[in-house]
Amino acid sequence: MQTEEQVIAELLAFIAVSDTAEAAFDRVALQLFAYQFEHNLAFRRFASHRGRTVRTVRTWRDIPAVPISAFKDLTLCCRPPEAAERMFMTSGTTREGVRGKSFHTTLTVYDASMTANFRQRVMAGRGRIRMGILFPTEQAMPNSSLAHYLALAVRHFGTPESHYLIDADGLDEARLLAELAHAEATGEPYALLGASYGFVPLLDALARQGHSFALPEGSWLLDTGGFKGQSRDIPLQEFYAQLATALGIPRRRCINMYGMTELSTQFYDAGNETCPAVKSGPHWIRTRVVDPLTGADVPSGTVGLLSHCDLAHFNMVSTILTEDAGVKVDGGFMLLGRADGAEAKGCSMAVEEFLLAARG
Amino acid sequence: MPEVAGHLPGLSTEKVAWHTLTFGEGSEALDVAVPTLDDAQISVLAAHVRQARSSYLKSLPTAQIIATIDRAIGRLLDRNDPWRRKMEALLPRITGYDAEMVRLGLTGYLKTFRAPELNRFIAEDFANPQLLDGFQPTVKGGVAKAVGPELMVHIWAGNVPGLPLWSLISGLLVKAGSIGKVASAEPLFAGWFAKVLGEIDPRLADCLGIVWWKGGDEAPERAVLRQADLVLAYGGTGSLEQIRNRAPATTRFLGFGHKVSFGMIAREALDPSKVWATAHRAAFDMVRYDQQGCYSPQAFFVERGGRVSPSEFSRYLAHELAAFERKFPRRRLSFEEAGRVAAWRNAEEAKALMSSDRQILTDAECAWSVVYVEAPEGLAPSGLNRTVLVVAVDTLEEAVPRVAPLRAFLQTVGIAAPPEAVYRIGALLGDAGATRICALGEMSAPEAGWHHDGRFNLLDLVTMVEIDRSAEIAAEALAPYAD
Repeated sequence: MQTEEQVIAELLAFIAVSDTAEAAFDRVALQLFAYQFEHNLAFRRFASHRGRTVRTVRTWRDIPAVPISAFKDLTLCCRPPEAAERMFMTSGTTREGVRGKSFHTTLTVYDASMTANFRQRVMAGRGRIRMGILFPTEQAMPNSSLAHYLALAVRHFGTPESHYLIDADGLDEARLLAELAHAEATGEPYALLGASYGFVPLLDALARQGHSFALPEGSWLLDTGGFKGQSRDIPLQEFYAQLATALGIPRRRCINMYGMTELSTQFYDAGNETCPAVKSGPHWIRTRVVDPLTGADVPSGTVGLLSHCDLAHFNMVSTILTEDAGVKVDGGFMLLGRADGAEAKGCSMAVEEFLLAARG
Repeated sequence: MPEVAGHLPGLSTEKVAWHTLTFGEGSEALDVAVPTLDDAQISVLAAHVRQARSSYLKSLPTAQIIATIDRAIGRLLDRNDPWRRKMEALLPRITGYDAEMVRLGLTGYLKTFRAPELNRFIAEDFANPQLLDGFQPTVKGGVAKAVGPELMVHIWAGNVPGLPLWSLISGLLVKAGSIGKVASAEPLFAGWFAKVLGEIDPRLADCLGIVWWKGGDEAPERAVLRQADLVLAYGGTGSLEQIRNRAPATTRFLGFGHKVSFGMIAREALDPSKVWATAHRAAFDMVRYDQQGCYSPQAFFVERGGRVSPSEFSRYLAHELAAFERKFPRRRLSFEEAGRVAAWRNAEEAKALMSSDRQILTDAECAWSVVYVEAPEGLAPSGLNRTVLVVAVDTLEEAVPRVAPLRAFLQTVGIAAPPEAVYRIGALLGDAGATRICALGEMSAPEAGWHHDGRFNLLDLVTMVEIDRSAEIAAEALAPYAD
């Protein structure tokens, strides 16, 4: 049985190599499953309940995926929460304010995962870039994994002039417009990163002024997380079309990141020329698309729930079942949004309506 | 060739734009053409229905209306009738429900609309049924008459086959013209009924218009609601609120929201000789239309102290559900519905991991799930589609305060208990907000003339027109024979 130290060392080594073979992934995944089964009591009960133990799990596909709703009820850590260096929480708008929590005994693996993946997929060989962040700082939101992610982006890939555009008073519109004008005037590439809903006030402001920018070659955008009721909801096609027009950044340079509090690794697409774009992750995370009821893989091209096995998320559980609908395609998967979109068919009261009524 | 939905008296079908809804997949796929009317066509339809109502239906004796409906229902009960054959062939494909379950369900349901039942329907609401045909003397003096709306708009929801018949027939009985909007989940039944009626009495069918728009679409909804004297709508709280807000303030609005129903099982029903039947009835209430009805149970409160324990009962129930799955398999769930069931089960599983007083019984495909709870839990909606909570209680009374917080949403309670308990618990349940107490096993088959959500089916639709005693007395003074 590995110690936590050994797990961390192994993961850091695995992230550093570029071994994309399934056999290599399986080897680390099974070791990690054994580690989590041993140390994560709630997970052991969950797995045993599903009839999955170290004896019966033969490949990463056999590892029982923990539904993310369980993070609200169960403390799913290998080491006690008190031992955690950081705790990330979901934005938690779904069930009576209960928020899912992810405990990290160290952020070393998270950070290695984020930077290696970001370097390859977002920076793609280019040097540091001046960044504007459409999200609060890590200090303002210490329990937000996105705030930490963006802080890493600035620290490792931003120039010293990189800056935050959102503070306690909201969007610093003047600064943002000045930055965009600066980029346009000097020709220095500029990157805007943040929550998807953070881009909406920018679009609104530019539309109000009837103004648009043509940012220099090499500029790009990175948005994540959708709109979550924080801003008006815009269809993706329209969102990227408007961003491309307003900022003069081609849609292939508008990248969408898909990440979750319950993971330590992110997925990216290669721009949003077409929507939904194909998403994929690095070699230390693998995704299945499964039937929500049976948990079995659905045939390629069929809609199912996304289930991720993220080796970097070692202190909790590596394999989770999301509430996101997706389709497996060549080179990755397409994210189709939340799985509970449609209204119930019958006249029997459904859970969502009950929760609404309970909130009053 | 798509199946055509709707019924549009006064409109030329070639001039109407049709939208196609597709049900099922592959060789089983069925296209249904639904009409989409523009504002002008809606006005023409409404004017036609009003005209037909005032020139014909308004002065038709109730007895004759009942006779015509009875003939139409008689045809739909005849398994050799082409309309009935169409229903049996297409409704399972539209809704996904098991064909045999649909067939049995249709027969059981349609039987409640035969002439004797319709007379009972009227008798439930009108001490003197002749009030619908003309002025009748009233006890206080003077005379009164019950007048239905000129134009009643129905907005139907859901995929339970035949649901539109309730309000459609209620409308006819009070001599109202009707325009009904069918649900996308089952767009055919209402139109078929209008066609059958038309083959028996075309002038009566002219008083019905059956239309469609995508649920929530503002323009057609407003256009139709503008025409209404009374709106009767089914749907979730959100949809009802929207419809009410879109109707003119002067239009009467009757909303039937989503409901939650449950079962109660006394220890007397948990005797080894009776428990099979009890479990079978409980399972049947869940299986019928896969808990899509407002009357479908989402939980069972089961009394301790019988010879079979609540925990054992939950196993009997699971066994019955497994047997029903072979006989009447659950319909194929959409991805979203499957996701809901899975989310409910996952949440229950997480709770079960934390405590030993919760057990989940399910099959590999999750075609049904029973969650047994030892702890004193209340009523919460299940994942539907054959998922249910079984909660152990020391006494049935104990469960009543736990369901009371859902007062606004309570409807049917299926009860298996001795006579004294039925009345005692029934009174408590009524105070808590339930409106229908029935036998276990009958939850999904309300009696003819039942008071849907506690309301009066017909009385709620009419306005009373009274000629006061004072008018009669004053008129006497002006009579040609006055002294």
